[in-house]
Amino acid sequence: MDIQLKRGLLDVCVLAAIKDEDSYGYRIIKDMKPYISLSESTLYTILKRLETAGMLTVRSAEHDGRLRKYYHITDLGLRRIEEFKEDWKEILSIYRFVVKEEENE
Amino acid sequence: MSKQEFLDRLRRGLNGLPQEDIEERLNFYGEMIDDRMEEGLSEDEAVAEIGNVWEIISQILAETPLTKIVKEKIRPKSPVKPWVILLLILGFPLWFPLLIAVIAIVLVLYIVIWSAVIVLWAIFVSLVAVALGGVVSAAYNLAIGRALSALSVLAIGILCAGSAILIFFASLAAVKGVIWLTKKAAVGLKHMLVGKERV
Repeated sequence: MDIQLKRGLLDVCVLAAIKDEDSYGYRIIKDMKPYISLSESTLYTILKRLETAGMLTVRSAEHDGRLRKYYHITDLGLRRIEEFKEDWKEILSIYRFVVKEEENE
Repeated sequence: MSKQEFLDRLRRGLNGLPQEDIEERLNFYGEMIDDRMEEGLSEDEAVAEIGNVWEIISQILAETPLTKIVKEKIRPKSPVKPWVILLLILGFPLWFPLLIAVIAIVLVLYIVIWSAVIVLWAIFVSLVAVALGGVVSAAYNLAIGRALSALSVLAIGILCAGSAILIFFASLAAVKGVIWLTKKAAVGLKHMLVGKERV
């Protein structure tokens, strides 16, 4: 898959993983695993990028006597997910057109 | 490998990056290992799942801009002593030209590599030109009734067109190769700057 495309997809996947409730690193990887596998290093880069872009915020909370970082989605992040869905509606309709053309050949 | 050993190796490997960046990375990987152990994995298994330390370091370095590494490298760890500044000023006529020379040599080497690529493209363009010229010349020769000449120029033209196709793919591969080499060299340079014990 195209690298730029994959990067954009992964960003939205991580946002989706923290959309309903705040989550932490390992859980994000586990939640995404059935759909797309992701290494720790890659996740770190994505989280950093999303934080810099203001799409998520980070807080440290105590868990079992140690600190764990929790990631919280911002309004900007939620809007990014909506944009993604809109974009893909369009792409899907183009896809259907392409597939239909091929079937008619 | 134990968690501590993994984190120690990572710390040593990243030495030379800004301290706060290193701490943040270590906390992140530490948390990842702890969370896996909480799920029932042994320490060894949890560390193994994170992956190879060397590969992780390489990936981090590939993502870190070279300017950031250099900036951290030349940032004085302790206040600069006055005699060091004096020496730098007095030595300026000596070290500055040397520095310029070193930069120039590296730059020239890099340009030479790209020149080879440009030469390949130049050959490609000339071959295409000859091929086109061959076709035109063949048509002209045919028109004035010199069939044998027409046939031979056409043959040369086709030969050049064939070579042009081969050279085209070679040139394309050369461009990709040099870009790949540049990236490798950048990561190699970063490895040289980062990862030694702090004195």
